[in-house]
Amino acid sequence: MNEVVQPKKVISGEPKQELRRDVTIWGSYMWGFADVGADSYVALGLVIAYVQGAAGLAFALAGIVYILIGLAYTELASAYPVSGGGPYYCLRGLGDFWGFVGGSALMLDYTIDIALFAVASAGYVNFFLPYITGHSIDYFAFDFGMLHQVNPVWCIESLLIIFFLMMLNIKGVRESSLLNEVLGGVTIAMESLLVIVGFVFAWKPELLVDQWVHQFPSFHNFMYGSSLAIISFVGLESISQAAQETRRPATIIPRTSITLVFSVFIFALSLSILGLGVLPWQEFAKHVDNPVAVLAGALPMIGPVAGILAAMLGAIILFISSNAGIMGASRLAYSMSQFKLISSWFDVVHPKYHTPVRTIMVFSLVGVVQTFLSFLSPSAMDTLGNMYAFGASLGYTMVFIALIKLRFSDPYSPRPYRMPWNIKLKYKGEVVYLPILAFIGMLGISLILFEVILTHAIGRIAGPAWILLCFGYYAWYRKKMGYPIFKSLERDWEKEQLMVLTAAEEFELVEEYKSALAERDKLAGARSK
Amino acid sequence: MIFSSTMGAFLWWMLHPPRQVGEAAAKARHSLFAVKKILVPTSGFPYSERGVELACRLGQEQKAEIFLAYIMEIPRTMPLGIPLPDLELKAKEALERADSIVVLHGLKTDKMIHRARIAGEEISRIARENDVDMIVLGIRSHIGLTENILGRTSDVLLRHAPCEVIIDKLPGENY
Repeated sequence: MNEVVQPKKVISGEPKQELRRDVTIWGSYMWGFADVGADSYVALGLVIAYVQGAAGLAFALAGIVYILIGLAYTELASAYPVSGGGPYYCLRGLGDFWGFVGGSALMLDYTIDIALFAVASAGYVNFFLPYITGHSIDYFAFDFGMLHQVNPVWCIESLLIIFFLMMLNIKGVRESSLLNEVLGGVTIAMESLLVIVGFVFAWKPELLVDQWVHQFPSFHNFMYGSSLAIISFVGLESISQAAQETRRPATIIPRTSITLVFSVFIFALSLSILGLGVLPWQEFAKHVDNPVAVLAGALPMIGPVAGILAAMLGAIILFISSNAGIMGASRLAYSMSQFKLISSWFDVVHPKYHTPVRTIMVFSLVGVVQTFLSFLSPSAMDTLGNMYAFGASLGYTMVFIALIKLRFSDPYSPRPYRMPWNIKLKYKGEVVYLPILAFIGMLGISLILFEVILTHAIGRIAGPAWILLCFGYYAWYRKKMGYPIFKSLERDWEKEQLMVLTAAEEFELVEEYKSALAERDKLAGARSK
Repeated sequence: MIFSSTMGAFLWWMLHPPRQVGEAAAKARHSLFAVKKILVPTSGFPYSERGVELACRLGQEQKAEIFLAYIMEIPRTMPLGIPLPDLELKAKEALERADSIVVLHGLKTDKMIHRARIAGEEISRIARENDVDMIVLGIRSHIGLTENILGRTSDVLLRHAPCEVIIDKLPGENY
């Protein structure tokens, strides 16, 4: 599969234009937090609805796998500070075909991101519906033939959000990183306040224990819910997507990634344990659309204000997350077209607004279709969550495989951060470090992927169908261009790596890489003599 | 408390990265990392053993291999292979002492005794044959009556060595 084919011209994969490096430490952290931090606003209700009294355990298990994923991304993003993220690592480690598969899994996640967070953002807006109309959002749902609980109001709200974001992006709204950073800071402060006040004044351990003992879910429900819990942690990719715009990425990214990984893990675990120690799980199951607002509203003293604030903040941060989906899809499409995995048709920019109009429109419209179809199912959030879990678990499984492969095929690239627990061994005369934690992480995420396929009826059909659909396009495009489908085009990765590290001003790594290559060439020369 | 302190500690650590290293500084730092083989000629005197210690410290981080060489300079009036048991014993003892310094640093070592007419030329030849990256030579601090600060060996080495040469001279008694 990973055979190299000589194209008419060697493809360097170098970007046509260097992205400006103006993402600071806080900016890099917030770039990730705006994406991952918002996940708790969606996942809390969905997961508790299935795992009931065992929510803490489900979040902890998914969280452990997520920490391993986070460490893998930290290693790869600091070693390869380019904007491609997961698909780029798959491409380098496993070749073009698997790079495309990883890319299509991630593209599924980005389009679902657009849809799911637009739906969830509308869900938090609907927190205010009873105050305005006197009815909750469920009042507007109806059964239509074979379809149950179709909610046109919520669907229209979500579609309006996506169309608004699409227009905004086409017109070239200048993403305000300051706004992101301020909102992210407010979210962290708000969640911290919620956790501290909740644990000090409202948390009842006996309620948590009682729900654990008497409301433990069935094995099937636990599998379903725990695999869904992984969606609380999706979005770490965004830090690596921004690697090419981050100052001193090899130094900064390990710090921002590790802080993000652990802070999100602490928040997710705290909110789930707090939630079940404050309210019965049925309350969350009833409000899967705005669970954090429900939890905040139940706190003493600050409850009435905190509930409203949490709902407003949830709506805004989920709106921003939905926008991150559109931007992420554009970046990913750009990167994939650079490496000839998809057509450069997607690269075309609008003559007036100078934005990648085709990418924005195509993937926003995919998000629109996904939103519409999800509202034909009994629970739109649940359906989108299924798909999100499928794309993420498939993409992350491949990232682990790529990391392991790259340890063997590219031991020369400096790794400012290396996943802990390695076995040092000799492979083809080179010292390589076998990453034990990457194997454990791969097993963990593969298990979640297996659970998704086994228990999520929609995810098991629609997920692979998406990949097959994308493969159909890939095969057609590569054949049309005269490129191999399963083999890889020849690329000068060493030259590219030197360019990337030099552009990142990581001079120590440049020298380390040059020394490693010189050492390799010296050894190869000695062997050939 | 646990929640606040954990979050605070992570954020503080994240916001305090190490300083950036400039291009020239990085080049200078890594030129030393590339030194994987260091040759140290020893004569058994304290100044040459100090040279061994210096070489070990220079090679410590990159786990360099230390080549210890004792060169027996044989005058042209004698055949090169003439038995010199006393000098050979002295050479072995000098190498053992030097080796014990290298062992303390946990580095790999290779000991050798060579005979030559001109020590500097032989050291250069050993360096060339073993693909050595650096030669560290400790020399006496006392300057004799001659005008040359460096001895003959140092002078030849500086002219003919195929690699980087570090001459280590301590200040003399007048300083």
